[in-house]
Amino acid sequence: MTSLSRFRSWFRAIVRRSRMESEMDAELRFHIEAYAEDLIRSGVPRAEAMRRARLEFGGIERAKEECRDQRGVSHFETLVQDLRYGLRMLRKSPGFTAVAVGTLALGIGANTAIFSMVNSVLLRPLAYYEPQHLYVIREIIPQISKFYPSLAANLPDSRIWRKECRSFDSIGIAEPVSMDLTGAGESEEIEGVRSSANLFDVLGVRPVVGRGFLPEEDEGGHGHVVVLTDRFWRRRFDGDLSIVGKSIVLDGTPSEVVGILPAGFHFPKQIGLMTEFPDHPNFFQPLNKSRSNEQSLMGDFDFAAIGRLKPGVTREAALAELNVVQAQIAKQANQGMDLLAEIAPLEAEVVGPARRGLLFLLAAVGAVLLIVCVNLANLLLARVPGRMHEAAIRAALGATRRQLVRQLLMESILLGLLGGTLGIWMASLGLGWLLHTAPASLPRLDEVHIDERILSFAVFISVLTSVIFGGLPAWRIAHADPQGTLKLGAAARTENSHTRRLRGWLIGLEVTLSTVLLILAGLLTTSLLHLLRVNTGFAVERVLAADIDLPPHSYSKPDARLRFYDQAVINLRAVPGVVSAGWVSILPLKGEGGVTDVSVPGEPSRTGETPIANYRVAGPGYFQTIGIPLIAGRDFVETDRTKHVIIVSQGIAERFWPNQNPIGQICINSWGGEERNEVIGVVGDIRTVRLDKVPVLMVYTPNMFARAIPYGPQSASIVLHTMTDPAASAAAVRDVLRKLNPDVPVVALRPMTALVSQSVETRRFQMSLALIFGFCALLLASLGIFGVVAYSVEQRRHELGIRMALGAQHANVLGMVLRQGMSPVLVGLAAGIIAALFSGRLIATLLLGVGSFDPLTVACVMVVIVTVALAACWIPARRAIHVDPMVALRYE
Amino acid sequence: MDKHLDVLQGTLDMLILKAISLGPLHGYGILLRIQQISKDRLEIQQGSLYPALYRLEHQGWITSEWGESENNRKAKYYRLTAAGKRRLQSEAEKWNRVAEVIAGILHTTPEEV
Repeated sequence: MTSLSRFRSWFRAIVRRSRMESEMDAELRFHIEAYAEDLIRSGVPRAEAMRRARLEFGGIERAKEECRDQRGVSHFETLVQDLRYGLRMLRKSPGFTAVAVGTLALGIGANTAIFSMVNSVLLRPLAYYEPQHLYVIREIIPQISKFYPSLAANLPDSRIWRKECRSFDSIGIAEPVSMDLTGAGESEEIEGVRSSANLFDVLGVRPVVGRGFLPEEDEGGHGHVVVLTDRFWRRRFDGDLSIVGKSIVLDGTPSEVVGILPAGFHFPKQIGLMTEFPDHPNFFQPLNKSRSNEQSLMGDFDFAAIGRLKPGVTREAALAELNVVQAQIAKQANQGMDLLAEIAPLEAEVVGPARRGLLFLLAAVGAVLLIVCVNLANLLLARVPGRMHEAAIRAALGATRRQLVRQLLMESILLGLLGGTLGIWMASLGLGWLLHTAPASLPRLDEVHIDERILSFAVFISVLTSVIFGGLPAWRIAHADPQGTLKLGAAARTENSHTRRLRGWLIGLEVTLSTVLLILAGLLTTSLLHLLRVNTGFAVERVLAADIDLPPHSYSKPDARLRFYDQAVINLRAVPGVVSAGWVSILPLKGEGGVTDVSVPGEPSRTGETPIANYRVAGPGYFQTIGIPLIAGRDFVETDRTKHVIIVSQGIAERFWPNQNPIGQICINSWGGEERNEVIGVVGDIRTVRLDKVPVLMVYTPNMFARAIPYGPQSASIVLHTMTDPAASAAAVRDVLRKLNPDVPVVALRPMTALVSQSVETRRFQMSLALIFGFCALLLASLGIFGVVAYSVEQRRHELGIRMALGAQHANVLGMVLRQGMSPVLVGLAAGIIAALFSGRLIATLLLGVGSFDPLTVACVMVVIVTVALAACWIPARRAIHVDPMVALRYE
Repeated sequence: MDKHLDVLQGTLDMLILKAISLGPLHGYGILLRIQQISKDRLEIQQGSLYPALYRLEHQGWITSEWGESENNRKAKYYRLTAAGKRRLQSEAEKWNRVAEVIAGILHTTPEEV
């Protein structure tokens, strides 16, 4: 056979379909008439001849259908036909169609939105060259690994790695910086990244305009250069290309703009737990001259190090090589500390912490979609008896079983696609809301958008769900015996016991899924509530906190900084409504800050066993203002500035002076050289790092003038205890600070309550989505229960009428209907509780202050589900007892 | 034995090709021709004739055109194509070979085994 002839007939059939149809018609008519004429010629009467000719020919329509099938266009043809038929059927029951399309759109939309996040955050590779070869390198000092399991990288160490390690193509380092941009236009503080010159090469990113950094720009003496990100370049310089080659003033130093990064470039917000970068860095600058604290081999560890592994080198081999180099470095440093390294894929470091939470949300939203499917399957099953009759007629007219199934499936696929289209629209709306509510700590959030992968996902789940929910009813209908159905007539329209059992199972499944979702949502809620009730150790009500960042060039001396904070506090105390004020270098809940060793004279201080504490610089009145209780001794006063005094947290007091008076004791701190300090006060422990992290040891110092290196924090927070709503004082606070020095930016100004809620935003996000999904599931399940019970009452009117005519009491009938409606619910509930037992363990890491199986949560969920299910059964059951026996009996 | 033989599965195509090979025919004519040359011993389901014709045309073994019937009515006439001729030949050869073998088997006597 030739493909040309095949194509010709196919083409004719599609393009000239109506002509082919009429030709086929004419041909068959000719046949029958010619036969009839032959019969007439042999003496058969005309009418009888026509009848016999038709009869002997057999089914004309069927023959036509088979002829069409031969054309190879049958698939396309029948598709169009099925589509038309499907649309007609959907139009005929608008209520059903609306409910089905609506719930599908909800399910598909929610899934698409969550999948968009999962896609961007977890699935899409980082937008770097061969990102799978990128690894983060961290350092480990075994002696302090009890407190700091791993550290960010040290600058000189990273230089040695670069020279010695053959496993890596290149190793780059980066740290967040924040600088004042002055000169043309409004001055502002901008966040950026200070990196080794090779960072762009390591990542495989090239500036679109200009150049990257030159190797010599890692050393001082080669001028100041800066590369801008696309976003900042567009915002600040309106995308003006002529800025390249010109200088901008950063922290008072002119820096030449040498390049602009591509628009699609993103730098990770967080690399591991230690290094946090700005959401949207505005600029990158090379290391330039290293600072004094960056020159020691055991000095500051605060760079994120990213290495590109050579192809073919395993992670283990690279680590082994690094550890050999680390041992040499430790020997060279000769500080009695060992040095190790650890490496982890950059991808995992960036998205790692978010993975489990997001996957949980995806599973939860998937469960909601499954419930949507089950509900629709149930709805369709309820329509089975009605459709049975129609299907039987079609089967009797010659439709094959396959045709029937195809037809019915087409209807559900149509529903699925309609729901999917609406769902994509809803997803794009929902995504906006999600991104707005999502915690800022969620990595790669700025990369989230709907792309072709998302769209194909939406189409895929639309078709998949329609096959799931449409398959079962279609199969039931197609396998019914047409003869039996037609013989039974109206009686066949009642549901048979098989279908009813099936629907019971489906209800059970819905309840199971809802139960699991609600229990998990309950666990997350309990965790959050637990966290919010946790004793932070400080006051959050009516406390306002203002973060201040001093411009380095105008406040280069430590005492000038301290003077500014002190003066600000004094001025603010005069603001009406302010009860007290104080300042601190870093607010509680803002993570780890500066750390120091703590020891006491006499106690043998063995390296690695000395406890490490976080230290904070605090002004007089801080503790009282933020509500940290003074347990013993006294607060700082002005005159403490020149003395070696500290205030310690209760944890330290209990650790070193369990049964003694800590006041007056000597404590040795090592912050850039050892120092003996006298303890003048003890304050309560507070949650310093995060709300969900137990208090760490704390040392508070009034100043550091006495230190070898005088110190005053470049940034600090001023806290105010207000008489009324703290937010109401915000404007006055800004005013006072502006009057003090208009050039000092107030980076953030918010009540402490906002800080607390920011600290739990990830949990709140997960919890609210889980709750939304859980209640959606419950709502859908209750609709399902209602539908099934209402339908069965409708079906059994006759039987119920007889029962009541024979004297059944209302209570009996009510009980019977409720019992039948509730039994799949109870089975599903039990199954759900068992399933929650296992799935609870999967989210154990997301929980806090509650086990993965919490009897109280389970009990609450049981009550909620039973109540809702009872209500869903009750409404139709009430209708059952109001059946008038006479009407019911006449009904048939 | 029954007077009418049902057409064996798969042989209808060959019979149609043969019938047309004797001269262009319309559908009803093909039916009559087969009955005539089989001396009314073969029964063809009228409804199954047309799907077979459409199939053969789709495969390029026959072509069709509209023409006038014996009693001056418009009818669709089928003709064999070159490919159809070759097809008929190979089908006929195959059929004869199979028939020969089967006949040989059926005529086997106990002595020959």
